[in-house]
Amino acid sequence: MLSRIEAKAAGSKGPARRLRLTDFDLTLPALGLLVLFFVVPVAILLARSVSEPVPGLGNYAELLGSSTYLRIFANTFLVSGLVTFVSLLIGFPVAWALAVMPSRAASVVFAILLLSMWTNLLARTYAWMVLLQRTGVVNKLLIGLGLIDKPLPLVNNLTGVTIGMTYIMLPFIILPLYGVIRKIDPAILQAAALCGANRWQALVRVLLPLAMPGMAAGALMVFVMSLGYFVTPALLGGTANMMLAELIAQFVQSLVNWGMGGAAALVLLVVTLALYAVQLRFFGTDRMGGR
Amino acid sequence: MKKILVLAAAAATIATAMPATAADLVFSSWGGTTQDAQKIAWAEKFTEKTGINVLQDGPTDYGKLKAMVEAAAVVWDVVDVEGDYAAQAGKNGLLEKLDFSVIDKSKLDPRFVTDYSVGSFYYSFVIGCNKDAVDACPKTWADLFDTEKFPGKRAFYKWSAPGVIEAALLADGVPADKLYPLDLDRAFKKLDTIKPDIIWWSGGAQSQQLLASAEAPFGSLWNGRMTALAQSGINVETSWEQNITAADSLVVPKGAKNKEAAMQFIALATSPQAQADLAKATGYAPINLDSPKLMDEALAKSLPDAQTASQVNADMNYWAENRDAIGERWYAWQAK
Repeated sequence: MLSRIEAKAAGSKGPARRLRLTDFDLTLPALGLLVLFFVVPVAILLARSVSEPVPGLGNYAELLGSSTYLRIFANTFLVSGLVTFVSLLIGFPVAWALAVMPSRAASVVFAILLLSMWTNLLARTYAWMVLLQRTGVVNKLLIGLGLIDKPLPLVNNLTGVTIGMTYIMLPFIILPLYGVIRKIDPAILQAAALCGANRWQALVRVLLPLAMPGMAAGALMVFVMSLGYFVTPALLGGTANMMLAELIAQFVQSLVNWGMGGAAALVLLVVTLALYAVQLRFFGTDRMGGR
Repeated sequence: MKKILVLAAAAATIATAMPATAADLVFSSWGGTTQDAQKIAWAEKFTEKTGINVLQDGPTDYGKLKAMVEAAAVVWDVVDVEGDYAAQAGKNGLLEKLDFSVIDKSKLDPRFVTDYSVGSFYYSFVIGCNKDAVDACPKTWADLFDTEKFPGKRAFYKWSAPGVIEAALLADGVPADKLYPLDLDRAFKKLDTIKPDIIWWSGGAQSQQLLASAEAPFGSLWNGRMTALAQSGINVETSWEQNITAADSLVVPKGAKNKEAAMQFIALATSPQAQADLAKATGYAPINLDSPKLMDEALAKSLPDAQTASQVNADMNYWAENRDAIGERWYAWQAK
């Protein structure tokens, strides 16, 4: 591999061209792996959606013609949207604080963020179950403080899913936002103040627009990841809050109806790709992750 | 030197990641305390007797099983599945016929024997209640469906399987001997009346957690889980009134690599002593009719075997025929 890169480097005309070619070459092992273990199996599953139980688009007609399944689609978008919104609301101040914090303090916060990401997803979700249940810490605390009389229903519903998923998604919004906000020259905010902007104006008219690429990249990432989420909604939500990924799992594992499973998976894939296309169109790959 | 170390590490990684060698038997079940008990009561005894190593895998996944058979790359040799699935999968050509010259079926509970499967253990859906959390405990299915007399959340099994639909019909006054064919319209109408008060449990551990924490102070649980809760010191009550039985089955996927060893394994697993040992460890009932003789009396009394007075048997053949249709309707109703 190395000698091939060198050969190419020697034979190429300019530095830009040389870089592009070798870049692509270097992605080949990863691409090969993806094609073999991801693209091919997905293609096979999708092929079954138009061939099982009989050839045709029957599975899609059933999927898109049923009010139950449409409700699951709607719920998937609702939950993803809600999680994205709450993540932004919480993530923005955190990213901002990280950007202006002394670096030692910031590294402590980063360590906490990353540690939570490295902890097993299932363990984290069960932890929320214990915290949020009727006799859980949160309800006991609120009752103890005299704020409520009887336990709030915090799990097995939309509240539980939103809390659990927001917690898991936060790092994915904080990290790109942090990257963008850190690049903003603090002098710009000083300039805004000098020009007479109060703190609110400085935030809304200067900081927010400048941080927009990071917000959009993070929000889209969280939204798209949420669309396909499985474990957390299954454990913290009720069956009335079922999401698309759970439906697919049900088709594949419990009903062993792979035609319908493939059809549902294709719908999810198309939506995800469409959103990704929007992201590319408006923000481009180079602006993702705040680079 | 460094290179050698790296190579050694890589070799070690590959070695540990290697799939079972042909001589090993692979057994898949549902994890948790039940599979631990199966390992001790069955697998370790089997290895002692035959010298064949048994690898534990799981959880059982019907999608995976189908994929293995279709791809002719069957990793599992013996699989613990739900009884209704076993009856259906046998008909759909996903399973090997069992060799009853190796497996002695004369003493096996005939309710759970088909050409393709024998019982693994059997259990009852009972009405469980956390006595510390409520003033009064529901005693019958009708009680459990009565949200006025018994306010609060109730726990029910999430997946489409024998148990909940039967309970709804019994609660609605259908006589036990008139349950089948299931009147699904009536069952779902009855379920509608308590739907907002249901918390679904998807696994045994979760059902115990719901009851113990009083998140749902009562519900329909597997009897073995109630036994375990009582043993752990939680003040629970079990009502066996019209307990609904269902079974797990042992099957061999079509094209299993160690078919002969698989038959021997099933023969041992369903033998009187192995079934008695499993019942002792799990609180589920043995499917070998000779097993109760081998157990002490107190234990035998705590099993579904001793609760046959009002017992209702879920009809596995009906379920096998209608599993897909009921399943689709079940999940659609749940998501509504």
